[in-house]
Amino acid sequence: MNLVEIIDHYASVCPDRIVHSYRGSSLTYLQLKERSDALASYLIDTYGEDKTPIVVFGHKQHEMLICFLACVKSGHAYIPIDESLPVQRIRDIIESSRTKLVLEVSGLGSETAEGEFHVLSGNEMNSRIEGYLGKKPSVESQVQKEETYYIIYTSGSTGKPKGVQITLSNLESFVGWGLGLCSLAGTGEVFLNQAPFSFDLSVMDLYLALASGSTLYSIDKTMIANPKELFAFFRQSGVSVWVSTPSFAEMCLADSGFNEELLPALKVLLFCGETLSNNCARKLYQRFSDVKVINSYGPTEATVAVTALHVDREMCEIIEPLPVGYVKNDCRILIVDPEGVPVAEGDRGEIVIAGESVSPGYYRNQEMTAKAFSIRTIDWTGHSKTVRTYRTGDEGYLKEGLLYYSGRIDFQIKLNGFRIELEDIENNLRKLEFIENAVVLPIRKEDKVQYLTAVAVLNRKLEQKEFETVLFIKNELKKYLPEYMIPRKIVLRESIPMTVNGKINRAKLLEEIK
Amino acid sequence: MEEKILEILEAISGTDEVRNDRDLNLFEAGLLDSLGVIELLVGIEEQLGIKIEPTEVDRKEIDTTNKILSYIAKR
Repeated sequence: MNLVEIIDHYASVCPDRIVHSYRGSSLTYLQLKERSDALASYLIDTYGEDKTPIVVFGHKQHEMLICFLACVKSGHAYIPIDESLPVQRIRDIIESSRTKLVLEVSGLGSETAEGEFHVLSGNEMNSRIEGYLGKKPSVESQVQKEETYYIIYTSGSTGKPKGVQITLSNLESFVGWGLGLCSLAGTGEVFLNQAPFSFDLSVMDLYLALASGSTLYSIDKTMIANPKELFAFFRQSGVSVWVSTPSFAEMCLADSGFNEELLPALKVLLFCGETLSNNCARKLYQRFSDVKVINSYGPTEATVAVTALHVDREMCEIIEPLPVGYVKNDCRILIVDPEGVPVAEGDRGEIVIAGESVSPGYYRNQEMTAKAFSIRTIDWTGHSKTVRTYRTGDEGYLKEGLLYYSGRIDFQIKLNGFRIELEDIENNLRKLEFIENAVVLPIRKEDKVQYLTAVAVLNRKLEQKEFETVLFIKNELKKYLPEYMIPRKIVLRESIPMTVNGKINRAKLLEEIK
Repeated sequence: MEEKILEILEAISGTDEVRNDRDLNLFEAGLLDSLGVIELLVGIEEQLGIKIEPTEVDRKEIDTTNKILSYIAKR
């Protein structure tokens, strides 16, 4: 059985089990199958052999899961877009994907809904589903192993996002490994879904839950902004497998009510997306007496995560920083120097990932694909093998088979788990007509990025207080960039210091703004 | 105490506007967000020894500098 068939078979084994729980409403495995089958049948009737990717726009609604499965059952890759993204970003993704259909789970808004594509509104979608109930798409219409299953867009240094294509076979390899990782032989767990579906961390909770016949318990951005409400939902969630960024867990840990009394069923905590600090792991073990903390690492381009390990109580006391784990067995990690030559064990270099998890490349973007992806013949425990490889731009080292992450080589950073190209923000700042030049600096505390500060040079004097200008810049930027990419501080200056080579002197600038 | 709180707020928001316009809505002005609130509460605990749980406060109770000052004064 392939992944989609496995998910479907729970509809016959345990039809009434809840697959998705959100704000007190639930969707069962049977409903998920029937509704996704119906929508897929409609898509096959409407688009036939045309398998152009489909955009699914929304937040945490049940329909998101129904749409994802309907797309792949009808042979289309899906592109999840979260409703919190700004209009311009949504437009960029829709344009660069050249999609012909947007499934509108949340309202798109009139500014975005215009273009060379059809928008199927939530109401229309429901009536199509009702009309096609009982129809089943054929297995042949499904997305095949080497075809693209989903495309997730990530921040790109040019100021335009890049779409990472993940195949069914990439995803199956990840799911098989991931289930072993949390050693969940059984079914019926409750997985926490914190990340929006347009962030690939959500693939971890979504597909590990669906493949194991478990429940996905979604929390949304309104809850996250209101801890009181968030904790009330936690209390009734029954969450047994926690999946989030370390930052989100740290935010919860700030409240002493975050403990095993609140989440009595909790067994496993899976972290990905950024560095897990010793302190965070230690605190989790203090609050929860009987849990397993798992740290993992991987870029979107290599399907969520490729290394992981159980960080036990002892390890958080003796190894600092924490390793990010052992590589999954159908992948290899190479550490290379700037010329691409492997370095000696223990030496730092760029992390290159090879094997089954590696994406075929960026959608409709050969230039960026050629820069980071290649097909190479490498040593594979004794014999040689030709596999896809991806240069991560991350720096790290291997010690006794364990990977350690050291940071980024370029200007990409992680802030609260979100991957951000600093140049993406800088390029969007420079687009504002009153800005001459701009630099974005990550402000770190104990090696972790706390927030971003932008330094901007204006090309003319504005007739308002500096504070108002800053606010104006932030609001302008919000039209182009997601909330998490807006620098918290913006400093206005007359000039930006340069190095002797004529490059922006980031180190000096960082000193000056302190 | 007031001075300490103002300093914490200035450090988080990166502007002295939080001091100058004490009735400014800090969330609407983009000077405070979810993580900013956590930083504020952690800062208050570390520097003033007053422990406030994030789940205890509503956004509305602390959306301006004046409200933050009076909220903490009541503790």
